[in-house]
Amino acid sequence: MNEVVMQHMTDLPSTHLLGTGTPMCSGCGGLEALHEIYDVLGKNTVFVNAAGCMTLLSVYPFTPFRGSWLYTAMASAPAGAQGVRDALDILLEQKCIKKEEDLEVVVLTGDGSAYGMGLSATSGAIERGLDFIYICYDNEGYGNTGQQFSAATPHAAKTATSRGSSGFAGYKKDLFSIWAAHKPSYVATVIGSEPLDLARKIEKAKQMKGPRLIIALAPCPPGWDFNPRDTVDIGKLAVKTGVWPLKEYIDGKVIHNIPHHRVPVEDYLQKQGRFVHLFTPKRNEEMLNEMQARVDAYWDAVSE
Amino acid sequence: MTRKLLTGNGAAAWGARLANVDYVPAFPITPQTEIIETIAAWSDAGEIPARMVTLESEHSMITAAGAAAATGVRVFTATSSQGLLYGMEMVYTVAGWRVPLVMVNVSRGVAAPLTLESDHNDIMAARDSGFLQIHCSTCQEVLDSVLIAYRLAEDKNVRLPVIVNLDGFYLSYTREPVEIPEPEAIRKFLPAFDTKNSKFRASTPTSQAVAVLGGSPYSYFRYETHLAAMQAIDVYGDIAKTFSQQFGRNYPAIEAYRCEDAEIVYVMIGSFSTKAREAVDQLRQTGTAVGLVRPRLLRPFPTKELQKVTAGKQGIAVIDQNISMGKGGVLHTEVASALYGKSNAPKILTSFIGGLGGRDISAEEFYEMVKVTKQAINDGVTPEPRLLYTRDEYREMQKLQAIAHVEREELETTQ
Amino acid sequence: MYRIRFHGRGGQGMKTASRILGTAFFLECFEVQDAPRYGAERRGAPIFSYVRASRSPINERGVITNPDLIVVADDSLIPIPAAGVLQGITDNTTLLINGHDDANTWKHRLNINCKVLILPVTEEVEDRAELPFVGSACVGAAARLIGVITEENLVEAVNDEISSLGADLIKQNIDQATQAFELMAKHEGLVKESTSKTPLDYEQPEWINIPFENASISAPTIHAAATSVEVRTGLWRTLRPVINYDRCKNCWWVCSTICPDSAISVNEKSEPVIDYDHCKGCMICVARCAPHAIETIPEQLAQEKEKQTA
Ligand SMILES: Cc1ncc(C[n+]2csc(CCOP(=O)(O)OP(=O)(O)O)c2C)c(N)n1
Ligand code: SF4
Ligand code: SF4
Ligand code: SF4
Ligand SMILES: [Mg+2]
Repeated sequence: MNEVVMQHMTDLPSTHLLGTGTPMCSGCGGLEALHEIYDVLGKNTVFVNAAGCMTLLSVYPFTPFRGSWLYTAMASAPAGAQGVRDALDILLEQKCIKKEEDLEVVVLTGDGSAYGMGLSATSGAIERGLDFIYICYDNEGYGNTGQQFSAATPHAAKTATSRGSSGFAGYKKDLFSIWAAHKPSYVATVIGSEPLDLARKIEKAKQMKGPRLIIALAPCPPGWDFNPRDTVDIGKLAVKTGVWPLKEYIDGKVIHNIPHHRVPVEDYLQKQGRFVHLFTPKRNEEMLNEMQARVDAYWDAVSE
Repeated sequence: MTRKLLTGNGAAAWGARLANVDYVPAFPITPQTEIIETIAAWSDAGEIPARMVTLESEHSMITAAGAAAATGVRVFTATSSQGLLYGMEMVYTVAGWRVPLVMVNVSRGVAAPLTLESDHNDIMAARDSGFLQIHCSTCQEVLDSVLIAYRLAEDKNVRLPVIVNLDGFYLSYTREPVEIPEPEAIRKFLPAFDTKNSKFRASTPTSQAVAVLGGSPYSYFRYETHLAAMQAIDVYGDIAKTFSQQFGRNYPAIEAYRCEDAEIVYVMIGSFSTKAREAVDQLRQTGTAVGLVRPRLLRPFPTKELQKVTAGKQGIAVIDQNISMGKGGVLHTEVASALYGKSNAPKILTSFIGGLGGRDISAEEFYEMVKVTKQAINDGVTPEPRLLYTRDEYREMQKLQAIAHVEREELETTQ
Repeated sequence: MYRIRFHGRGGQGMKTASRILGTAFFLECFEVQDAPRYGAERRGAPIFSYVRASRSPINERGVITNPDLIVVADDSLIPIPAAGVLQGITDNTTLLINGHDDANTWKHRLNINCKVLILPVTEEVEDRAELPFVGSACVGAAARLIGVITEENLVEAVNDEISSLGADLIKQNIDQATQAFELMAKHEGLVKESTSKTPLDYEQPEWINIPFENASISAPTIHAAATSVEVRTGLWRTLRPVINYDRCKNCWWVCSTICPDSAISVNEKSEPVIDYDHCKGCMICVARCAPHAIETIPEQLAQEKEKQTA
């Protein structure tokens, strides 16, 4: 194994692989994560994409990728990865292509696909031991269709289909655990606002084989209703408040980066229009307490 | 060359084996399962090099099939009915990728009500997808068509996926003597998969199947797919000719049986057309000049050939084993649109819908269809489309309904 | 039929503007069509919407190619061809611009002969992606130019379309709309209905049979890397980040790493450099540069300065 572990920000690449000129929103947290990930993965990759915002990355005749790309459908990107991986393996075996021509197969989907429509395809791919990396950029809703709630939407968030006074009634699905329950090689959560942690994890994943799955929380200015300049601030708060635990599943164990001093969850919520009803016209103390309690309970369980 | 009793499913599997396929993504569904079980057994025994993967759905299966073909290997897959419909999003999608692969569809009626038996509504639903369609009437034809389909799909002017269709039960589970060509001969007919056009190599970055903005580029890509499908008519003709020269079996885009001097022709696809063939022979013996027109290619539709073989006839009886709710038989519509306005097209085009959900079409019914068509020619009036359904069947149906406690407002008088 | 097109940037409320005008027409008992251009709206990116109104049923559909009135909420879009502001403009079109320069300057600059009217910018803002109430002001002015909409119905239309915003904002929008309505009083009825193309004066479409091209040409495949750099997303920018190299600590390229758009690279002198052709102006780099070495300048101001020094 090639142990070039990222230690400092200075180890991060300062030239960037992902091309400029994409149609993603200004300040897109998903794009931020993708460009950081791509720098580590390198260009010898083929992204297999499901329907979502990122589908618009490659709109004829423009693509930001220096490697390859295949758009499939909302439900079946992992199956597309299966086809590409198997075909590359067959071609390698038959000596039709050289080892240098091989590519890392990377699924790229949103949360709507990962947590919902594509979950069965992902489950199948993991259970078949497919050698691939899955990147889910989680903007906590069906962003491309206008941010309706998805299975990844957090409790109380307003979305285009949960506009009522208490927002989304459901709770964010625990995809990390669902994935981990399949016992894949690697599962990790990352966020673009913590580039060093992200780079380390992607590098780790890159050096493994088998199913390696990454969820990147992706602050989304229009979907979460905040000014694009705050994408990184909000991302950092997601981690500092403990709302977005940075963790890894490896060798059957889950390892957390435990935040030193967790700041109150409301610091994170307050910055986003989708939670504004928790603060105005009147603070919803009950809901805020409940949300804080859930996060506290999570971390209490971790430290036990 | 060996001659062997094979089911239609067995013949399909042999087609894949002889085509030396690299990759077989699969998902089981009755009555297709025997195909993938056969291939799995060969693969497990090391008799064939193909890699087989069972996906978790047909949607994924067709995705993997398209993705592998896009990466540059020869792909075979198979499905049926609900499976074809479940994967339909990807049927359209991978056709748009312009990748060559062959999928066998074992035709089966579509729910609801659920049935395991055969008709053509499943395959008709894929009609407009960009997949080309070859329809078979015998087990031999299934094997041969798979081989022909690969050449067609991989032709550089076509590069579209192809469905080879066979009827559930009537072919899938029915054994017939099938000639299995020698691998040597096949290699001459079907060269190894050309990976030259394939993408996804470190040295050649490619973005495939990308989105477009606006109707103009979309129109271009879609219409070019149509033009490629249209190219496939001539390409198919050439391939069929080569096949016939090499193997002695002739598969024109439209099979015309005893049509030259026929006054009335049946038009139908699939395995029941051999029944029509039998009826033609019987009717001929009684002095009725009848023929059979059987399109093997449904996409691309051989319009010119159809116009030619039906020119100057007095009437056509179209038999549809499908039904488009609120319109009628799909093949009937196809034939009508191909002939409308042609000066020497038959004046009478009758429509019969039969064989739904595996219901038989009897010899008597074939004769009667000709009689009805003849009558229409004499009267100069086209009758309403007819479902082939007898009084006895309806009576039996009522018995079932009685058991199901169906309440009728008044007792029907149908004795 | 009246044909009106609104041009602005994502975030400036052009969709709402077309809806308000559509509703106002509707309240005047017109048959109406209003629609935004279909597609994802990106903050700062050029966007347009349109309204048709007629006393008889409307059969025309889709984007308006022969506008009677073009309303431009953000004058910085006019010179950008991709924004398509001037598409279909003729001498009979009225061009209403929300901006600083006067009408003659624009006529001269664009070399056009149509009527140009200026809706003066009332409020200077740093970030033009957040021009407040510009949509409502545009509609107010447009309504008066058209001359068949009463102030009363204009107000009701604004009320209808933004009712979810809360009393304060509704009031401010109404004020903006009515002020602009007053401002255009002397031009009332300037915009006239125009007729449709007839079979007598149409231009024959030059249809062709597109040639068959095999899949190596005609598949939806891009055979190259990073072609997206040809898309100038820098046009979306309403604010410009400018690095003050005196303050820059050449830190660990924080700005370069977190810029979502890969728009900051590091040169051979180890300094960060912003690619203004592609920077979308999200200001994340400004927010995250610890020594505050990146400053924010309104894009329009930056461009004017550039012009002066050029
Ligand atoms: C089968 C199917 N149903 C619906 C859609 C419409 N659709 C396109 S993108 C999308 C949302 C995807 O959400 P997510 O995976 O979270 O990605 P995001 O848009 O947030 O990037 C939906 C519902 C589709 N493409 N395919
Ligand atoms: S909607 Fe959100 S996730 Fe989608 S491109 Fe915009 S910022 Fe990114
Ligand atoms: S973040 Fe600020 S200090 Fe660091 S390199 Fe960028 S401009 Fe310089
Ligand atoms: S404002 Fe800064 S972070 Fe945003 S796109 Fe421009 S250079 Fe990148
Ligand atoms: Mg999403």
